[in-house]
Amino acid sequence: MTKPDTVVEFDVALIERARRGDSKAFERLYREHVGRVHGLCLRMTRNPDLAADCAQDAFIKAWKALPKFEARASFSTWLHRIAVNTVLEKRRGSSNNEIAVEDPTAYEEPTMVLDTPVEEEELEAAIESLPQGARDALVLCGVYGYEHSEAASMLGIAVGTCKAQLHRARGLLKERLERGVR
Amino acid sequence: MNRRIKRIDELAQDIPPPRDLWQGISAAIEADKAAAAAPAQKQSGRRSFWMPAAGLAASVLLVALGVYIGQIIGNKRGPLDRGVAQTVPAPRNENTPELRHAKYTNQREELLREVNAKLATMPPADRAKVAASLETLSKSIKDIEAALGHDPANALLQELLVSSSQEEMRALIAVRDSGREEI
Repeated sequence: MTKPDTVVEFDVALIERARRGDSKAFERLYREHVGRVHGLCLRMTRNPDLAADCAQDAFIKAWKALPKFEARASFSTWLHRIAVNTVLEKRRGSSNNEIAVEDPTAYEEPTMVLDTPVEEEELEAAIESLPQGARDALVLCGVYGYEHSEAASMLGIAVGTCKAQLHRARGLLKERLERGVR
Repeated sequence: MNRRIKRIDELAQDIPPPRDLWQGISAAIEADKAAAAAPAQKQSGRRSFWMPAAGLAASVLLVALGVYIGQIIGNKRGPLDRGVAQTVPAPRNENTPELRHAKYTNQREELLREVNAKLATMPPADRAKVAASLETLSKSIKDIEAALGHDPANALLQELLVSSSQEEMRALIAVRDSGREEI
């Protein structure tokens, strides 16, 4: 029997077992990925209870959708997409809607660097205080490293909107942290 | 200690949830498996006098799941591994009018009696498979109980309770009628 020698191969082996109905294999995948999925939900919702619910629902949806998962895709990205969808669905029930910012000409480098270091907590608080759309774009592009096209697809918005939201987030962070943000 | 960072992507991506979410996920998975198995058993009724053991086991899993959740919500406890014959329905604490609740409970009790009688007449091999399935279910039910104990207001588990109760009634009827579909 061939022994998987990388994390990716190990994931693939677990995914295959989970697809065949092995819930123990799925539990291993859950243990491996729950931190990142929950972190994403927490930053998008700003609500610990809601974030835990969203993360839980995302894994349940992932289990049900496993037969549709294409092995060549990244399991982590696929899970994140489901988690983002789950958060967006929960939001639809709330009144916290925002007007989309559309600026197809805007260009924003997804990575962000501060002129001077800041305490992690302070930065988290500043991100938390951002408006929803700007925060979503910043979390997906800035923190989780997704390209605009991937983040826009996850959020169901245009790429230009995603760029504009990130631009907005950058400006607001600069104000709130009183530092330059490149 | 709070570290100082310069890049946004230095923020932790991995933030573990405050509670283990697996119990709720596991419960939903078991319910999903059981629900997926239930329709298959209905379709197989014409092929033999007894439904295939796997389909029947799935039905009984649903039955036991519903019974046990009822016990949890009704604050009545009893180990599931006593067997189907002893899974006496416990009063449920549902948000429905009293009369409707009583009618539902009566219908369920009668169905359970009929199902238990049916199981008693099953071939030993099928009964053994059903018993094995019940053991599997027993573990997942303990997970549900533990999850509800920690988080009684969990909307997902409450939702699971409602859907499982509905599935349970359908499964009870399917098991009861299993031998009648023979042409």
